Amino acid sequence: MDNQQSPPHPDTRRQLQMARSMCWHCQSEVTGEYFCDRCVKVQPVSKETDYFTCLGFPRRLMLDPKKLEAKFYELSRTFHPDFYQTKSADEQTISLSNAAVLNTAYRTLRDSIQRAEYLLALETGSVKDIRTSPPADLFEEILDLQDTLEEYRASERDSDQGHRLRATLQTEQEALERRKEGMEAQLRQLFADWDKLQDAGEATSLARVERDRILKEMRDLLSNRTYVNNIVNDLAATIA
Amino acid sequence: MAYSDKVVDHFNNPRNMGSFKKDDADVGTGMVGAPECGDVMKLQIKVQNDTIVDAKFKTFGCGSAIASSSLATEWLKGKTIEEAQKIKNTDIVQELNLPPVKIHCSVLAEDAIKAALADYQKKTDGQPTGTK
Repeated sequence: MDNQQSPPHPDTRRQLQMARSMCWHCQSEVTGEYFCDRCVKVQPVSKETDYFTCLGFPRRLMLDPKKLEAKFYELSRTFHPDFYQTKSADEQTISLSNAAVLNTAYRTLRDSIQRAEYLLALETGSVKDIRTSPPADLFEEILDLQDTLEEYRASERDSDQGHRLRATLQTEQEALERRKEGMEAQLRQLFADWDKLQDAGEATSLARVERDRILKEMRDLLSNRTYVNNIVNDLAATIA
Repeated sequence: MAYSDKVVDHFNNPRNMGSFKKDDADVGTGMVGAPECGDVMKLQIKVQNDTIVDAKFKTFGCGSAIASSSLATEWLKGKTIEEAQKIKNTDIVQELNLPPVKIHCSVLAEDAIKAALADYQKKTDGQPTGTK
């Protein structure tokens, strides 16, 4: 019984969810980033803190991967549970949960596509709030390709038909990969547009229209890229 | 996590796979996709005298998405337009025993049904087809 880790005291747990501005331990105001200035106790990363804030970056889409990694390593050391082994149970719990949030934050932000998906979710509440018009032409293409894939799977690989189908699929795969690259180039342009708009920081109605345009176009492109990506992977796996 | 027997059955023996000519007056086509996972679903109905006489689907996606659309086409056959409107994704979840992570597949199937019905109704503008 004695060596069992006791769960945090109910009072402490309530305090953990309280506003970041008050230290859970000494109740003095916290002005520092992750530690209380007075008692030097580690502070929990609030559940409301978004991943950008957590890693100390503004909500931009063109983040420098080197800087992001450096900040991640720095904070990883700060929160690493190994450094809290001699501290109180509360501090151990906080360091562990902070380290977990940090890992998820880094995993999400280091990939430019996931980062954009995450920003969209943050900016629009729910991604589903932006209704995308289903790209019917792309869907038809994907389903037709699916038929050809089935035909190929059912065919004798070494027959004339098998060779012909394989060649067709290969051409399609290359075309789709080029299309995916085109979409990613368009996305990068939108990322730059977004950052520029944020840096300008204007609250005009024109800026709002631009913001909505960028988010809507980004939503459509990200969705279409996922569809294309899936069929490309399927093609690659089948004719490999 | 394993698929339920019913999902496996629909996946291995999909019912009503294929398509109709989408320009035919008595055909309604629903084309939907799930941007989160990249699944694509096409569901079509053939209507005569306000009754769905045939249904077909084509789905590019996971086993649950295929099973959901396969089941949907089975259910649609013989139903009136009005009855078809009442099919809910929760009915599909229940029948196929879908786990929480696969509920969006049933939502996709319901969206496809709704889209096919809407497409048919737009074509006929409320006038029943197939009456001779």
